[in-house]
Amino acid sequence: MVLELQKPRPIWQIMFSTHHTDVGLLYLITSVAFLFMGGALALAIRAELFLPGAQIIGDAMTFNRIFTVHGTTLIFLFIIPFASAVGNYFVPIMVRYKDMAYPKLNAIAFWMIPPAGALIWLGFADFTWYATPPYSIISAPGPAADMWIFGLKILGISSVLGAINFIVTILKCKHPDMSIGQVPLLAWSFLSSSLIIIVAIPTFAAALLMLLTDRLGVSGFFNPAMGGDPIAYAHLFWFTFHPEVYVLVIPAIGMMYEIIPRFSRKPIYSYNSGIFAFVLLSIVGFSSWAHHMYATGMSFTEKTVFMIGTLAAVPASAMHVFNFIATMWNARIKFSTPMMWAVGGIALFFSAGAGGVANAAMPLDFSTHDTYWVVGHFHLFVMGTIAFGSIGYLYYMFPYVTGRMYNETMGKVHFVMSFIGTVLVFFTQHVLGLYGMPRRIFDYPPIPEWIAMNQIVTVGAMIIGVSMAIFLINMIYSSGKGKLANTEDPFGVGGKYYYPFEAKNPSH
Amino acid sequence: MSHDNQQTVYRTTPARTGKMMIIMLGICIVGGVIFFSMWDYWISQPPPVVAMMAGEADHSAPAAQTGKTITEDLVFIESSDFRTLAFNALPGEPDNNPIINMNVGDKVVFNVDNAGKSFHAFGVTKDAEGFGGLIPGSEVASASNPLKPGMSGTSEFVAGEEGTYYYICTVPGHREQGMVGEIIIGPSQGGGTKTAAAPTGVSHDFTLDFVESSDFRTLAFNALPGEDGHNPEIRVNSGDEVTVTSNNLGKSFHAFGVVSNPEDFNSIVMNSAIAAASNPLKPGEGGSVTFTAGAPGTYYYICTVPGHALQGMQGNFIVE
Repeated sequence: MVLELQKPRPIWQIMFSTHHTDVGLLYLITSVAFLFMGGALALAIRAELFLPGAQIIGDAMTFNRIFTVHGTTLIFLFIIPFASAVGNYFVPIMVRYKDMAYPKLNAIAFWMIPPAGALIWLGFADFTWYATPPYSIISAPGPAADMWIFGLKILGISSVLGAINFIVTILKCKHPDMSIGQVPLLAWSFLSSSLIIIVAIPTFAAALLMLLTDRLGVSGFFNPAMGGDPIAYAHLFWFTFHPEVYVLVIPAIGMMYEIIPRFSRKPIYSYNSGIFAFVLLSIVGFSSWAHHMYATGMSFTEKTVFMIGTLAAVPASAMHVFNFIATMWNARIKFSTPMMWAVGGIALFFSAGAGGVANAAMPLDFSTHDTYWVVGHFHLFVMGTIAFGSIGYLYYMFPYVTGRMYNETMGKVHFVMSFIGTVLVFFTQHVLGLYGMPRRIFDYPPIPEWIAMNQIVTVGAMIIGVSMAIFLINMIYSSGKGKLANTEDPFGVGGKYYYPFEAKNPSH
Repeated sequence: MSHDNQQTVYRTTPARTGKMMIIMLGICIVGGVIFFSMWDYWISQPPPVVAMMAGEADHSAPAAQTGKTITEDLVFIESSDFRTLAFNALPGEPDNNPIINMNVGDKVVFNVDNAGKSFHAFGVTKDAEGFGGLIPGSEVASASNPLKPGMSGTSEFVAGEEGTYYYICTVPGHREQGMVGEIIIGPSQGGGTKTAAAPTGVSHDFTLDFVESSDFRTLAFNALPGEDGHNPEIRVNSGDEVTVTSNNLGKSFHAFGVVSNPEDFNSIVMNSAIAAASNPLKPGEGGSVTFTAGAPGTYYYICTVPGHALQGMQGNFIVE
């Protein structure tokens, strides 16, 4: 695979290219840059919470702005663009097509991200990534809040354009000799998540416009002073963003489906159950949004329906985990860095999923709602599963992208420190939630248990921070001076690599 | 699939990596300068809806209350086919949608009771149709969180100007089905009304600064609850000249005004406003206003930005 560059080109040739590997590279660099920017904000949050009282950040407004942009950045500017990077590199190769179906649309979808990121980062809105109404309507100061709304609007359009491109590429542009039942699971994961995007995003797009017109005062959908209802926003928002959870996690699982058979030196245990579970997840993902609102006074019947709908996602997720375990069973596994990240990601996926089953129980929600339990739960998913799968895949594609190997020791140190840090941070946050600490606060009363646990969490976060610095050094150093990779078999696991370095970039 | 990868693959050179790092560092520096220099600018404007909510004042609260209070019991009832809705009695029966007669400055207390099978909510509006324009303080429940059958509630309304107001069921459609009654407000009855005294020549200076707790949940004047000087009570004599100086010591937007109804940030009396919700004092700004205390009574000084009075920015302003 040829990012780099059979003939070194000036950088503007990459920027204005519409070839899928070039667009993929742009997505990759952008998303990793935002990973570090969002991560730095996380460290600022944790440093502030190390002790009760205001030390580093100083006031609640700044703290709110920081965690709002932290969440928005890592979800919309790291995870989603990173998945697009992987999809751009690999999906056309996997379906044996020369490029994405609509190359120019692909480049447009990417180039919407930098202005959207600039809007979000320059404004630094303060109303949480959920844009909580009625605060976001009647109190959140502009223009930051309006910039955030427009930024998210642009990112939503970008996601939909990217999703259309993936769907058409996979369904219409795959090689005629290849049936849909032979498309690799990574491509299947992009097909399922793209279908979810197409169905889910329009609801939030509408809700964003309603939020904006509410702020302008022309409508009052979510403004109680004008007869509106903030809970309606919660429904519209979560109808998009519960399925969005699966949009985030399905590509990460697809990446693990690529890594695990490769390093287990075995074919995947059950290809069909993988497809079945992807499709099932993308359907049942729509039956559980209101479990985010158990504490808003819904009727018992509604809560029961959404509790069952939530539990319906369990079998599909478990099928993936069993599939991974059965593939690794009795295999000659080579624990290179990507494999370590994938296996660690599966372990944390199981833990986060177990917490998710507990969350589905609606009585529990009344004691855990809006506490650090929730923070711990969803961060364990986005960091422990999605980011672990993504970072593992970044190591996996690194030799194909740069033609050089990363430093294996630094990669392993990165994994071990991140794994320890992730467990320290997010498991402890679950317990902290059970002790009653509310989320989204920048100061807390000096309760000894809270202080102790917050300090454990902060130490864990700093361990992750150090490991990410090692990661950055490794990536920068190795892309320029790393050992030359054998692109036929960079990890020395033998067997046939049937696609990665076949992409032909016509402009090379 | 076997194949030969015989093309020469040129790898990234350290020089190219370095060039890319310099470009990205340049973007970071330029972006960082914009970012930090404009950090506070981006949160310097209140949302436009605040100005529109504040500008909705198509009614005015009275400068002085007469002290006369009318109690009105209203019951939501429905015909057996649910087509016709009304207050107290169905159309054609006596006491159907009773007309309330009052004078400027009178207060009416509504005791409303949902005796029907449907959901209802109550409010007073000046609009001749529709369910908007509700007078703050006059609502019982709301269309989105209405009174369920058997529930009841209380609210009050002070007549601010002559004209016809309507008490309605604020659930959309119910007004058109008959749940509407008139409130006819006559001119001020002078007699019982206290009027402003002649200027006394005495002047007072007060400083009322806006302060916020660090979590923004609690707002107050001068000092937070529990501290000395929290929301001080102000007593002046009618006709005195009062000068109020307010400084915004918080991080949010604030505006000052003396009002007759603390729930209605539009009911500013005696020309006592400093800034306004639509053009508030930004953090660090201050302002002052000089006015003459009007008719004797209990008034309130509040922050006129919607919601802030409820969070604690409210004190008594007593004219004797």
